[in-house]
Amino acid sequence: MLLLLTRPRYDTPTHYLFYWAGLLIDEAKRRGVNFIDLNKSKANKKQLHSYLTKQPVDTVILNGHGSPEAVAGEKNEVILSVGNGTDLFKKRTIFVRACDAGAILGKEIMENGAKGFIGYIQPFIFPADRDCFNEPLKDELAAPVLECSNQIGLSLIKGKSATEAHKDSLVKYAKAIDKYSSSATVNSFLLPILLWNMTSQVCYQ
Amino acid sequence: MEEKNSEQKNSEDTINLVIARLKTIPSNVELSVGNEGSFSVEELIEKVKKQDDIGKKMIEMQLAYLRSLSKLPTQDLQNAPAAN
Repeated sequence: MLLLLTRPRYDTPTHYLFYWAGLLIDEAKRRGVNFIDLNKSKANKKQLHSYLTKQPVDTVILNGHGSPEAVAGEKNEVILSVGNGTDLFKKRTIFVRACDAGAILGKEIMENGAKGFIGYIQPFIFPADRDCFNEPLKDELAAPVLECSNQIGLSLIKGKSATEAHKDSLVKYAKAIDKYSSSATVNSFLLPILLWNMTSQVCYQ
Repeated sequence: MEEKNSEQKNSEDTINLVIARLKTIPSNVELSVGNEGSFSVEELIEKVKKQDDIGKKMIEMQLAYLRSLSKLPTQDLQNAPAAN
C-alpha cells in the first residue's frame, strides 16, 4: 500500500490536525506502509496532483479546511475542487478530514471512479484546550473527537475498505458518547460535538 | 399576531437554552469550527445571540443533541449527566 497525506499547518485547526494526522504516519511506519507526507508548504495543489498522477497511491488522507466543493492545503490554497482534480482518484480510497466536502466534492470524486470516499457534510467541529496548544496530542478535550476521526485513517492503513473504516469510526464515536453520557463523567459538553461529527460523517463506496 | 409572538418567544427560549448549554463548556476551551476559525465560549454565545452562520450551527448542534435524548430508552435518560 502507498499512502498519501496532506498536513497543512497555519492556524489552530490545522495545527491540531497536523499533529493528530502525524499519529497516522506513526501507524504507517509501524506497519511498514509506504507513505508520502505533504506537510506544511508541501501541502499544495501542484505536488498533490503530481504525486497522484505519477505515483501508485492507493489511499489518500487530506487534512485541512474545506467547503462543499473544495479542500484546501497550506495557507488555504485550494488543492482539490469540483472539476479540478476529482478525476485523480480512480480506484483509490480517499478520506477528507475537512468541513463539508462530503456534500458535493465527495460525490463527484466517486462519480469519477474512486474506490471509496469518507468525509463530512457539515463543519467538522472539535474543542481545543488553550493550555494544550503547544502539545495538541496531550489535549484530553480534543482527543475524544480526533481519536474517532483518526480511526478512519487507522483502519484504512490496516487495509480495510472505506465502508469498514467508516463503521469502525462510528463504533468509536458510539463508545465515546456512551462514556461521556455516564453520570460519573465530567465534560459532558463534548456530547453534542461527538454526535454532530458522527452524524455528519459520510461514506460513499 | 399571537402566533407570531409565540414563534418569537420560542426562538428566544431556544437561544437561551443553547446559551445555557454553551456555558457548560470550560472557559479554557475554544471550539474549532472549520474554515471559520476557533472561538471562545463568550464569542460563541455572541454568535448565537446574533444568529450568524456559526451561531446557527451551534443552535443546530445543540438541538440535534437534545432531540437525540428523546430517542433514548428511559433508563438511559435517567443515567444522562447533569450539565457540568
